Amino acid sequence: MRATWLLLLALALGVALGQEADPREEAKKQKELLLKTAGILPTELVVAQGEELFNRKGPSGRTMAECDFGLGKGVLEGAAARLPRYFLDTGKVEDLDSRILTCMTRVQGFKPEQIRRSEVVAVAFYIASKSTGHKIQVRLLFPQERELYALGEKLFYARTGQRDVGCATCHVTYVGRRAGVLSYADVLGQDKSWTHWPAYRYSNDQTWTMQDRIRACYGNIGHPPPNLYSLPILALELFMAYNNNGAVVEEWPAFVR
Amino acid sequence: MRKALLFFLLALLALALAQRYFTEEELKLIQTGGKAYAEVFVNQRPDQALCSIHRNRLPADLLPQFLEEQRALIKYPQDGKLMGDWRKGGAIFNNLQKANCFSCHYGSPVHLGGDVGPSLEKYGLKRGQSEAVQRYTYEVIYNAWAFFPCTVMYRFGALGALTPEEIAHVVAYLLDPESDFNTKPAVGSK
Repeated sequence: MRATWLLLLALALGVALGQEADPREEAKKQKELLLKTAGILPTELVVAQGEELFNRKGPSGRTMAECDFGLGKGVLEGAAARLPRYFLDTGKVEDLDSRILTCMTRVQGFKPEQIRRSEVVAVAFYIASKSTGHKIQVRLLFPQERELYALGEKLFYARTGQRDVGCATCHVTYVGRRAGVLSYADVLGQDKSWTHWPAYRYSNDQTWTMQDRIRACYGNIGHPPPNLYSLPILALELFMAYNNNGAVVEEWPAFVR
Repeated sequence: MRKALLFFLLALLALALAQRYFTEEELKLIQTGGKAYAEVFVNQRPDQALCSIHRNRLPADLLPQFLEEQRALIKYPQDGKLMGDWRKGGAIFNNLQKANCFSCHYGSPVHLGGDVGPSLEKYGLKRGQSEAVQRYTYEVIYNAWAFFPCTVMYRFGALGALTPEEIAHVVAYLLDPESDFNTKPAVGSK
């Protein structure tokens, strides 16, 4: 076991020092290594946990199979690849995380304060796993979707705060350049970053959805992060998802550095 | 009296013309992100709004006034010395929590540098320590937008991340021929 960790550490260090190494190739190697040593991936464990929670009955006696994630009651195949979208029953644009929250409160009868974030993430991992191989298909049909898209675009290009930073400052202007270990991803273009989350992040042992990732981005640029499930997060998600329309989800949940 | 009134009206006009980036409606949506998050956007500065509106490429006709305003923000150390203590400067340059210069610039003998900004390897040996070089280096660190409008480099002095004295220390770290920055090899150099 000790030797395994040492090996893992050495590999991680190799990534940190080997500037030319492609982070995606490194992630693939790490994944194989973990699979070989542990026999199961952390992503698979969380997906299994999510499936259990999905089939658990809430106070109302209903499971999450009674919920509509956009393609009809209980239909999960490809559903996550079409989120975020506007839902008529709530009158709101919702992403996977917020739709799970809606399901747990409105259908399953949980009180908002009973819902643990780790459970929402696990269910998100499970539902997202049913979209592997699907194309991102997000639309701007309802005025609420268009309004949030416009806000997301503005937030993406905004220069604010004590460091004058915003998402585009690095992820558009300095794509491929490096400040720290990894080079900046072309979030709106060829890197199709929207399809990289939800993911297990092995460098920090984190199970994250895009909501967590966006909050961490703000942390990195010295901004207070937006609240979970808030409109600025949904706006940025819709903006990124729409710009990645047509991209095929290689694997959800993903396994990233 | 009439002059004062005219001035007041002109000031009002200037305020009305100052372009906002976010609308009131958008700021309301942003409020759902929480108080601390929203405040950053509510308090967006006019120069930040301008860079946001034009996606960092200001139209030529706006440049002279923009540069002049940025230049006016630059302040100098009390004692007038633009080169301080290079050792203190190194601690600021190489600290991720402080100025974090190395993350974008190559040349530090302590950390491997990035390539978002130009390489600063052996900065002082290549440029010398003339008053002009000291002043230029100091002013770029104090307010990079006075030279490169809307660039990604933080405006360390203008937005208060570093004091004038701290910036002078960093200038010394880059320029002083005795400084580790100029005597020791940069991490990653061959």
